[in-house]
Amino acid sequence: MAEFTVDCLGEACPVPLMKVQKQMEKMAVGDVLIAQIDHSCAMKNIPEWARNNGHNVEIEEVDDGEWEIVIEKTK
Amino acid sequence: MKAFWDKVSKNHYYKMIFKNPFTYVTGAVLLSIFQIAIFASTGSPWGVSGTFANWGAWLYRLVGGNVDKWYYFSSEGAQATLNNGILNHTGSWLNFGIIAGALVAVLLASQFKFKKIKSLKQVVAATLGGLLMGYGARLAGGCNIGALYSSIASLSLSGWVFAVFLFIGAFFGSKLLAKYFM
Repeated sequence: MAEFTVDCLGEACPVPLMKVQKQMEKMAVGDVLIAQIDHSCAMKNIPEWARNNGHNVEIEEVDDGEWEIVIEKTK
Repeated sequence: MKAFWDKVSKNHYYKMIFKNPFTYVTGAVLLSIFQIAIFASTGSPWGVSGTFANWGAWLYRLVGGNVDKWYYFSSEGAQATLNNGILNHTGSWLNFGIIAGALVAVLLASQFKFKKIKSLKQVVAATLGGLLMGYGARLAGGCNIGALYSSIASLSLSGWVFAVFLFIGAFFGSKLLAKYFM
C-alpha cells in the first residue's frame, strides 16, 4: 500500500486529469494517490473520472482555492 | 465576528449557492436563461471572442496604430463600433461582466488564489494555445460561444458543424499537449 503524490498546482485543465490518469496506471491495487490541485474544474473532473472507474475518492479543501483529491485504486 | 463568519461558512444555503460548484444541468439552465436575456435586451446573440479583436484594435490605436485599412475592420459597422469607443460597446460590457462576475464568485466561495507559474514550458503552451484559439476563432467567425452555443441556440446548422470540428481539434490538441507539454 504505497502512497503517491502528483503536484498539479498551477496547472489548468486538462493537465491535472491527464497527470492523474497517467500516474494511476503505474499504481497497484490498494495504492493511494494524492492529487494537489488549485484549479476548480479539476475538482470536478478528476473525482468524476475516478468514481466512474470505481475508485474511492475523497476531496479535502486544504487552503483557499487549494484542494487535495485522495484516490484509492480499487482495481 | 469570526464566530459569525464560521457560522455562515457552515450554512447549508451558503454552501449550496456560493461554495459548492453547481451541477452541469444547473449551469446549463442558468446559461440558457442568461443568453436569452442577452439576446432579448441587446438584439444580438451572445458572443465573447469577437470583442477581443476590438480590444486589440483599441489598444493598437492607443499606441498610434491604425486599423482602418484592415479587411477585418473595413465594414462601416466595424468602423462605427471602433469610433464609438469601448464604453459604448455592448460586447465589452458583457466581457467585463464575466471577469467581474468570476472574481466575485471566487471571492464569495473563499477560493481566490494567485497561481504560480510552473515553468517556461507552461508559459509557451499557454501563449501558443491562446494565440491559436484567438486566431482560429476569428477565422471560424466565432468561438465556442458565438459560433457554437449561440448558433445552436438559433437553430443554425453551422453550430453543429463547429461542434464536430471542435471535438476533432480538442482530440489532437490534447494529444499534442500530452506529447510536448507534460
